[in-house]
Amino acid sequence: MKKVIHYINQFFAGIGGEDKADHQPEIREGSVGPGMALNEALKDAKVTHTVVCGDNTMGTDTEKATATILEFLKDKEFDIFIAGPAFQAGRYGVACGTICKAVKEEFGVPVLTSMHEENPGVEMFKSEMPIFIGGPSATSMRKNVADIAAYANKLLAGEDTGPADEEGYFPRGIRHQVWLKEPVTAADRGVDMLIKKLKGEPFETELPISARDMIPIAPPIKDLSKAKIALVTSGGIVPVDNPDRIQSASATRWGRYRIDHMDRLKSGEFKTIHAGFDPAAADADPNVILPLDVMQEFVKEGKIGSLHPYFYSTVGTGTTQREAARMGREIYEHLKEDQVDGVLLVST
Amino acid sequence: MPVVQLANLIPVAVTVGANKIVPTISIPYPLGDPATPKEAQHRLRKHRVEVALDALTDDAKEQTVYKVKI
Amino acid sequence: MQLKIGNFYVKDIVFGEKLSFADGVLTINKEEAIAFILEDEHITECDIVIARPGEKKRIVPVKEAVEARVRLDGESLFPGVTGDLRMCGSGTIHALKNMSILGVGKHWGSFGDGLVDMWGEGQKYTLFGSLINLCLVIDTDEEFEQREQQKKNRAIRWAVHRFAEYVGKVVAELEPEDSETYELPPVTKRSEEVNKLPSVVLVMQPQSQMEEMGYNDLLYGWDLNHFVPTFMHPNEVLDGGIISGSFMPSSSKWSTYDFQNFPTIKSLYREHGKSLNFLGIIMSNLNVSLEQKQRSAIFVAQIAKSLGADGAIVTEEGYGNPDADYILCLVALEDVGVKTVGISNECTGRDGASQPLVTLDVKANALVSTGNVSEMIELEPADEVIGELQALARDGLSGGWPDDDELGPSVREDGSIIMENNAMFCGDMIAGWSTKTMKEF
Repeated sequence: MKKVIHYINQFFAGIGGEDKADHQPEIREGSVGPGMALNEALKDAKVTHTVVCGDNTMGTDTEKATATILEFLKDKEFDIFIAGPAFQAGRYGVACGTICKAVKEEFGVPVLTSMHEENPGVEMFKSEMPIFIGGPSATSMRKNVADIAAYANKLLAGEDTGPADEEGYFPRGIRHQVWLKEPVTAADRGVDMLIKKLKGEPFETELPISARDMIPIAPPIKDLSKAKIALVTSGGIVPVDNPDRIQSASATRWGRYRIDHMDRLKSGEFKTIHAGFDPAAADADPNVILPLDVMQEFVKEGKIGSLHPYFYSTVGTGTTQREAARMGREIYEHLKEDQVDGVLLVST
Repeated sequence: MPVVQLANLIPVAVTVGANKIVPTISIPYPLGDPATPKEAQHRLRKHRVEVALDALTDDAKEQTVYKVKI
Repeated sequence: MQLKIGNFYVKDIVFGEKLSFADGVLTINKEEAIAFILEDEHITECDIVIARPGEKKRIVPVKEAVEARVRLDGESLFPGVTGDLRMCGSGTIHALKNMSILGVGKHWGSFGDGLVDMWGEGQKYTLFGSLINLCLVIDTDEEFEQREQQKKNRAIRWAVHRFAEYVGKVVAELEPEDSETYELPPVTKRSEEVNKLPSVVLVMQPQSQMEEMGYNDLLYGWDLNHFVPTFMHPNEVLDGGIISGSFMPSSSKWSTYDFQNFPTIKSLYREHGKSLNFLGIIMSNLNVSLEQKQRSAIFVAQIAKSLGADGAIVTEEGYGNPDADYILCLVALEDVGVKTVGISNECTGRDGASQPLVTLDVKANALVSTGNVSEMIELEPADEVIGELQALARDGLSGGWPDDDELGPSVREDGSIIMENNAMFCGDMIAGWSTKTMKEF
């Protein structure tokens, strides 16, 4: 028998509504409220404990409430953590997402919840966990609980789970290949899609592309002649012995190398380790990727205040977005600490 | 902290959301064509880096690809 | 232009006295066949191994696949490659179906080479897992590239093309079981009923990104790096006008077998005269600099517009920066009023969370996805390896690695493997075979 711990708010625990929203976290044995429906829908599992917490407590005193709940769970054995369903209740949805994320990070168990699409918790947490698509109010309780339980049953039995649209949760931004149950070839799917598009009939793209969100633009440098500028590259320029063992593809490492004592990068001292292009030109003259020579001239000419004494380098081929973002954040921390004012990023 | 990306594949830089972009001449040698004399490479590199430095001071309100002369 | 293909369905391949075909069984005289392959002085060693679906055999490094055929007029199958130039696309061909000829390195693999499993879990990852494969396992004297990650693999690729002609001749005089006819009249000479239908072109972007000659796909023997898009008859592709190259990560590749049987061309033919008017192919390419990519997109859009195309399917042999060529081309077509569908694979990373194509544009609103190059695959050991298993780990195949901090080496001591889909031979079947798609999780 597998064990499930369930999280609900003060309202669904029957403690009270808005007036009891500052109810402090507590843990009870067995199932409470919606947990009973959950118990019925689970196959070889049952709800062993229920955590109850007021929505305002979770919303305003988040850190402390979360810590208290994690403390409750420390000595409990459980295979899966389920919160809600939260329907359209905003604070409850955010609370479910918050506690699920914390439990996943602390204990590494699968976490599941359910919300209505307009619940702000969906946008905040849908990439972190399966959030099942729920109804607006408690009248859809039975169905929403059944959806979560069906998925939990598969997870607990070690069975394969299907894509988000089949299982009924909000897509997490994770895309994997699957074989179609009806094996229609890509050729036929393509021709069929084109015919529909030409006729003006509805069609469904297999790769939806939505308009991009604008990334905020950093405020500009006011006086370049006083600014400290740093050079960063994804072109794989490193000292010839590649001291940080940066991978030449699918990189997870970056390095920083001192350059304030040189006028230019010399061939034979620096090279590129990037596997995605012919390295001949950059090996012969690394300045074609990392323009140290002209930057030093701009320092001498007073165009810029100074050049940051290190350049930063990694390899951008086959590198996952997640790794690239992490390396970017790590490099930024260094640049911020050294009070760099602006960055030139050379990509290849 | 303002960042200017020097990139050859402008559509890629635009897609990933870089806000200030200065074009370079190729993937393997962004800032100096080895088939041209050293002085020409230097002139091109100095120009494009200067455009990038100036872009750091530009109060752009939207994604911008800066024009280069050489 | 009319092309007739007579089909001979191969049920088995065996070695025997005489090269012959009877009752669905292809017999090969191994000694004679090897002697034929060794006529190329660059080939130092050759063995021929048969791999049938269901047999516990693993083939790696696979460099090329070709369908065995013969032209009844006696011309070569691949003009500019195995014989003199001629215009492709008309006449009669006899083809041996359900089988392919694979070019396999006896030792050395390269970036674009792939793996084929003939049984079990691994079988579904390639088309060739379900065909009877005549594997030419070859070593060569091309020592200049033996330790290079990028190889031209010229001797092995040419051996496969020549051998397809050698085997194909066996059915020259025989009566095929059935036949297919591919015919499209000139675009301005079509019936009123056909002209009333929406006009459609297929835009092909074969791999041509190596600036040094010898790696790219060849069109009538011409390197597609030195090329601007042109209008072609679909039959030219089906009739050996284009052969595969030796560069792109394997799962994204089109083998010569794919070109000879290109499913997207066949699907468009099937709808021709019913729901659409298939004008023909705009042959484009893939490039390494933005200006080259833009130039090709401009040519494609102009040709499509001038032909009066209402719709286009665009398909690319690649992923990564070629996605920029792919999206630019789709957008250029949409911008001149040609409605588009794209067919390609994606690269969402092992965790599935990366951006699926390197460039995205909302105008590319009708895309077919054929797979994820970076999907992780773990497979049990084979009873027999054709080629050399270590090539997957040692030689820089796009989906293999010598060692990894977390995953260990791609090739384990017991012969089991862990790899990325990248190294599955033509595994994403972008030519149109793929019954895979991409789903959100």
